[in-house]
Amino acid sequence: MNVRVNGALLRFTDYRREIHVAAPTVGAALDRLADEYQPLRPVLFDRLGRLRATHKIFLNGEQLEAEQLGTPAGDADSVDLLLAISGG
Amino acid sequence: MARWDVYEIPVDTGLFTPLGLQPSAVCRLGFNAAGSWLKEHAISHRTLIAGHHTGFVVWSAQLNFDKPVCYLDADSLELRVTGRVRGAGTQFECEVAIGEATRMWACCVPLRLDGDPALSGTAARMGADVLAAFLPDEVDPRPHLSPVPQLCAEVESDGRVLAQGRTQFVVHRHQCEVADQWFWPEAVSLVSCGREELARSHVGLRSGIATPLRRIDLLYNRPFFLFDEGAVVSTAYSWRERLVFVHNLQGIEGGRPRAIAVEQFDR
Repeated sequence: MNVRVNGALLRFTDYRREIHVAAPTVGAALDRLADEYQPLRPVLFDRLGRLRATHKIFLNGEQLEAEQLGTPAGDADSVDLLLAISGG
Repeated sequence: MARWDVYEIPVDTGLFTPLGLQPSAVCRLGFNAAGSWLKEHAISHRTLIAGHHTGFVVWSAQLNFDKPVCYLDADSLELRVTGRVRGAGTQFECEVAIGEATRMWACCVPLRLDGDPALSGTAARMGADVLAAFLPDEVDPRPHLSPVPQLCAEVESDGRVLAQGRTQFVVHRHQCEVADQWFWPEAVSLVSCGREELARSHVGLRSGIATPLRRIDLLYNRPFFLFDEGAVVSTAYSWRERLVFVHNLQGIEGGRPRAIAVEQFDR
């Protein structure tokens, strides 16, 4: 699937905005993305490995709740990873 | 009694236009003054973020220019600044006077930071550790309500539309703060671009570039981030003997504007 990363997260993905990730579910794709871009892992996940509540995930434009990250997704799907606000 | 700080800064030519103080410079000076007040009297902004997991994000602001202040008027500007908590810890408000005739006022929303390197956070009431840094006179239980929705409604219902325009932009890093999201004074700069483009092409709007700004009200709904694309959608009105520009800062996703600004000029 194609994962689109937004502005405040770009510095953690070497400024790549669209990244193709091969994974069976949205949650697995985020995990692989964090493997590929190590600085992204503490940004996306807390110490217990849970997705931080400050991120919003959209699958083909539809927002997913945390318990829906197991949703299957394929090559043609798009995932948007959005950070709502930062506290700088 | 609320605590005020008073200090002077030297002027430089970059703070001014030929018409007076740059509005975006007033925002930057004012925000810096508020940071200085927090450090002196409460908790520094850096320590708030690093030690108290609390960020302040500007949500609403207003600049008033009662009389133009020009570069050749003086060697220095006097800044007076104070801060207060409002809405039972849901807002931090700062008030800054620059000289006798320029005032900036901004209301920030506290964020509870999640502790990650992106400084991500969610809106939350200030903790007791932060509230304890303010004097009783610096805590007002009443929340601030933005005047922007009412102002827009009045201008749109009673004003006469003079012109409309759209100016596209991309947010680059020099426009951002430490978290790679736009620094709030950039909204003032971007709407200036929208207004000036409109005024360049409509003779009747020349006071929008030939006279100094009298007042600007800003409401921030959602930030723009690094490399986000957007547009300033500007509408000029004749309203109550004033030339007024209502600017919606739209992301390419459409929908609710990420920010709204209302600029007022004498005609």
